[in-house]
This record gives sequence, C-alpha cells and structure tokens, in this order.
Amino acid sequence: MPKIKSSRTKRAPEGFDDIEPTLREFQTKMKDAENDPHEGKRKIEALWPIFRLHHQRSRYVYELYYKREAISKELYEYLLKQGYADANLIAKWKKAGYEKVCCLRCIQPKDTNFGTTCVCRVPRDKLEDGKVIECIHCGCRGCSSGSGASAGSAASRKGKPAAKSDDA
Amino acid sequence: MAQIKADPNKVSWEESAFPILCETCLGDNPYLRMTKQSQAKACKVCERPFTVFRWCPGVGMRFKKTEICQTCSKVKNVCQTCLLDLEFGLPVQVRDTALGLEDNAPRSEVNKEYFAQNMDAHFQSTENGLGSGGFGKAESAGREMLKKLQRTEPYYKRNRQHICSFFVKGNCTRGAECPYRHEMPLEGELKNQNLKDRYYGTNDPVARKILAGPKAGGGGRQFTPPDDKTITSLFITGLTDAVQEKDLKGFFYVFGELKSVVIARKNNCAFINFATRAGAELAFEKAGGGINLEGAALRVSWAKSRPVGAKSEQQKAGPTPGAVMDALQAGPPPPPGSNSKVAYPSQDPTYQGSTSKYR
Repeated sequence: MPKIKSSRTKRAPEGFDDIEPTLREFQTKMKDAENDPHEGKRKIEALWPIFRLHHQRSRYVYELYYKREAISKELYEYLLKQGYADANLIAKWKKAGYEKVCCLRCIQPKDTNFGTTCVCRVPRDKLEDGKVIECIHCGCRGCSSGSGASAGSAASRKGKPAAKSDDA
Repeated sequence: MAQIKADPNKVSWEESAFPILCETCLGDNPYLRMTKQSQAKACKVCERPFTVFRWCPGVGMRFKKTEICQTCSKVKNVCQTCLLDLEFGLPVQVRDTALGLEDNAPRSEVNKEYFAQNMDAHFQSTENGLGSGGFGKAESAGREMLKKLQRTEPYYKRNRQHICSFFVKGNCTRGAECPYRHEMPLEGELKNQNLKDRYYGTNDPVARKILAGPKAGGGGRQFTPPDDKTITSLFITGLTDAVQEKDLKGFFYVFGELKSVVIARKNNCAFINFATRAGAELAFEKAGGGINLEGAALRVSWAKSRPVGAKSEQQKAGPTPGAVMDALQAGPPPPPGSNSKVAYPSQDPTYQGSTSKYR
C-alpha cells in the first residue's frame, strides 16, 4: 500500500482487494513484532520475528504469482513496488538450490569469518544426527533445498498463519 | 614469534603469529581453522593485551580461545588455553610439586608487569621457556612420576560445551536448541577452580586430587597384599594394543598356576587371576614395581574384592567395580566421535571448494 494516499495516487490493480485482508493481517503482525518488548530475549533473538514475518509475506506473494498464478503480473509488480514483498529474496527463490532460503543475511558469505554461509543452509544429512540448530540471523532451523519436507524454512515451521494458504 | 617494542619503558604489546597450545585444546580435527585478532583481550594473568586465537576443536565441541598471553604461557610452560603443562598435560601445581620448582612470579600489579617485560626480553634473547631448559638429575625421579601421572592420549571431553547455567537453575527455555550441556555440575571441591590459582599452582583442587590419587602414591591402589586371603588377582594398567593375552600369560605363568587372564581393552587394563594366593603374592613381589612388555610400561597392583550384595551379582562377568574406577583414572576413554565415519564437513573437498571464491 502506498505510504501516503492522495488524489493523485494510482489505484491498485485488479485483484488487490481479494488479497488485501491477508496483507493487512501481515501488516498488523509486523507492527506487533516491531513493538514487542525485548525483555527476556537474547540479543540475537530480537529481530527473529521480523525476519520470519518478512519471509512469510514475501513467500505469500511469491506463491500467489509463481506457484498458484492467482494474480496478474501487473498486480505482482505493484506489490513489489509497494514493498509487500522483497524482490531480492524472491529472486533467490527462483534459483536452483535456493528454493527455501530464509533470509538474505544467511546466504551472504562476506559476513562470516571463513567465507561460508549460515548454518541453516547446511543440509540436514550433513549435520550431526538429531542436532537442532537455530541460526543467529533469523532463527531459521534449516532452509537447504535438499532436506525435503522435514526441513522447511523457519516460517513454514513456526506458526504460519492458517488463513494464508486459503484465500485468493 | 612475539615482537616486542625496543623501548624498555613502553608497555610491550604482544604480536604473535601462532598460539602455544596443547594437543587436547587443538582437538582431533586435522583441518583446523583459526581466527586471529591482535590485542583483542587482556591476558587473564598479567593483564597486558595479547593476540587472541579462536577455533573450534572438533564436532560437538565449544569454541576455544587463548586466555593468557604468550609470555605468561612461556614463563610456566603451559598451554595458552587450558593452563596445563605443555609437556605432561598436568596442572602447574602437580608439575611444580613433582619437580620441586619454586613459584617466584610476582602477584602485585606493578611488579607483575615489570616481571612480564623482563621475561619478554629474556625469551627474546634465549628463545626458550621453562620447558626446554635442562632438568637436573634430582628431578629425574619427579619426571618419572609425572610420566606415570600424565594421560596417554588427549582428553577431548575437556573441550565439550559448558554446562547450561539456566538448566542448573531449572529455567532453560531453549530446550533442544540449547547448545549448552543439560547436565548437573559436579559437586564438591572440584567445582571451585580459578584461573589465577591454577596458573600460579596454588590451591588447585585438581592438582590436590591428582597428588592424593593412587598413581602419585597417595593411597587408593593396593600395594600391600590385601588382608582378604581370597583375593588371588592382580590388576594391570597401562596396557597397549601391542600387549596380547599370551604375552601376559607368558610373563605371569612362572609365578604360579593361572586361573584366567581378563583383558579390558577399552580401559587399557587387565586382571591376572591366579589359582593360589601364593602365586599371586610371588608375582606381585617380582612385578609390583612395574613391568615392561612389548614396549608398554605396565603397572601392577592388587585387585580389590567385590562388594557383597546385589551389585556384585550383576557384575559377575566384568571386573570388580573398584578396579574399573581405577582403570578409568588410568586411561581416558577414546575421544567422542573418533569412530564416526564422516568426521568433518571440511574433509569434503566440495565443501572446501565452495568457500574459496570469497577469500
């Protein structure tokens, strides 16, 4: 949604009304996450809910356009332009091996000591058996492509809103 | 090597290219990656800035870093991380007691710094620390004792994660994700350890335990024939894989008829069960000081009688419980993960290749 609505603001493309309630719900959730107190959380945990919601919302838009083909290209571009989805993250999802990437920080090797990616990118079978990991950037528990259904991204594992998959 | 500023009045800042570490602290991974940060922290002994190295010593271990500066490490010939002697892997107090070394390192703030700078200059000119200096003949007995006390292989359990302090209080909310160990800490004297005491070799509970333990001659192991006349077994420790059952049999049958020889490979120990008490006594008389078989220095002591009760029935087949405890102290268990098939992801060439682009 445009930050400021005026008489000159362009109208949203066709079909926006159908998905607006869901996007609004995401928006309120994001607001809640932003205003959440940090007490009792670890330093690194503070931003996890933000990353998680950001991933969820982008994923929602991505699936609407690329997977279910429920929205028009025009509307999709409108959503990207208005910041409802992260174009850079979606660009990664289109690449082989990056289908489930949790966030962009986790695949940025320049940020690590040994030029590696985040631990959540390690396939489940390469990890120690029974080891549960939570990456420090976004709290992802594993988002490698090869791990199958058992290793979805953080968003798909932790309380995805039930309403999301059904509308539009 | 450490580079020290020329001006003697300036506080010297250490700059080193490689840490001084023991085998255990480095871990079992031959492809170790380390980070280096110059003057990152204050040495926990002399409080001067020093180069901190940080690495992970293997799968499932915690990240370790150097804790004291190289000068302090060289003064005592200890590992920069675990503060155990580099040659023997024993606490400073144990080594100093055995070798009769005097602790003359100053404790007061100013004197400490002066001492550290003097030592720096000394190491600059001579290039050797305490360990490489020659030991007199008087110390050879002490060195023998230290050799008996030291571990035969690295003790990697020391590198495990710390115990979760929240779990101990009963309110860890992280559950399975918690990287710290969910165990209760050991009670007793051993939990009150402190880095400075360990470094200076004063009031170190671990050292006290080792010095009072069986191998240092502080009691515990039976060296006099036990009063219980039914005991006809000798307990052998320090076994290596080279020592076979026939070697033991070949050595001990001359003293009397053998009932059986039981070898516990896992604990590097064995039991020689004689048919008669006289045989066992004769064997202990001849071999009690230790024997040498196939290049392994074996230590011989009397086995202990089994406690009477339900427990002894369960363990009928195995060695006596007391003896097992002795054996556990004698040799550490194999390192965790040493038998696993894929030890390190970094041994995988594709893994290495994937990162090279960004270096």
